[in-house]
Amino acid sequence: MIDKSAKISSIIKQIKLLSSSASRLFEITTREDHNLNEVVNIIKHDANLTAKVLKVVNSAAYGLQNKITAINRAVGFTGETTLISIAMNEAVNMLYTKDLSGYEGEKGDLWAHNLLTGLAAKKITPHAKKQINGDVAFTCGLLHDLGKSIISDFLINTSSKVIQAIENKKVDNYNIAERKILGIDHCQAGFELATHWNLPEPIPSAIRFHHTPIEAQEEYKPLVYAIHLGDILAMMVGNGTGADTLRYKLDSNYTKYIEITENDLARIMVEIDDEFTKMQESMQENQ
Amino acid sequence: MVHVALPDSSINPAKAKTKPGYFADTGIPALLQQMMIQGATGSPKEMIAKITGGANVMDTNNVFNIGKRNILAVKKILWNYGVSPRSEDVAGNISRTITLTAKNGRTMISSPGKTDWRL
Repeated sequence: MIDKSAKISSIIKQIKLLSSSASRLFEITTREDHNLNEVVNIIKHDANLTAKVLKVVNSAAYGLQNKITAINRAVGFTGETTLISIAMNEAVNMLYTKDLSGYEGEKGDLWAHNLLTGLAAKKITPHAKKQINGDVAFTCGLLHDLGKSIISDFLINTSSKVIQAIENKKVDNYNIAERKILGIDHCQAGFELATHWNLPEPIPSAIRFHHTPIEAQEEYKPLVYAIHLGDILAMMVGNGTGADTLRYKLDSNYTKYIEITENDLARIMVEIDDEFTKMQESMQENQ
Repeated sequence: MVHVALPDSSINPAKAKTKPGYFADTGIPALLQQMMIQGATGSPKEMIAKITGGANVMDTNNVFNIGKRNILAVKKILWNYGVSPRSEDVAGNISRTITLTAKNGRTMISSPGKTDWRL
């Protein structure tokens, strides 16, 4: 192993800081008692974000007969989940659009996987034994794998060996292989980025522990398990990020925090499929 | 070709109407019906069926083992038509993409990080 963690950490420190609207959005959406008006107010004061939201709501995917020109009206059609997705996509676009060559993933895979994870995690939250805010889970899901965009370039030409090692049971999880190769995995890289951006808890914890939820602080465990399950579900339905898809173990201890049945899971899959397709279509039209 | 996500449509009959391919129990009949519309003749028993996918997520609570349930449902439905798969590449913790060449029926599976292989 050549330890590249120091180099990767220094690259993270050079990543452009978030815009003030994006930072405020993260602050608000991770507060359990936030409301939609607070989100709308931030978007309203950012001309670029307002334009993006209006483009999405006026896209064919929404099929509206009359053009919507006011953000307050647009929100009535999109709801908070879509609004947050548009804002996050814009804020972190430079990372979401990377091609993930190190994972043999394609451009757009990271965004699609994170979006589906967020949608799934949000739908899982009502099954938590302790109350979790669904929108907070959605935001954490949208960001959980950002670390992959940072370490991907350092993983080029490694995927075949990693898969062989997993198939020969020499390593359990893809991220353990990342640590063996680079000295850092995508969870830690994402966590360092969240810290660099001053993102509020529980985002850094959700990113850091989404493959090892048992290691999260007790207060964040229900949420981190929701992200962990959402991540697995997104991969199961065919939206992974390349060679690492399904190369992670499910932590069966989730039952301590989440009470979910086989039928609940099937219902969640159906619900997120429709929502995901609509969001992808409406946002792609405006890329 | 049909890509199913769940074994049983009773969970959401409305979805099965708009997207029958989402479920094994509505997807396979819809595929056969489409094949007939496109000009296929003869009995389904003469059909060459190949199945792939059904990746497994190990869950001791038996909630996330959807891949296994999908494989069983697909085989059961095919069996009801008197069809047994000519070949299969299923289960394991691996994501698969299948390509079918219509002119010769050749089926190839690809998975990131692995060399493509024939089904």
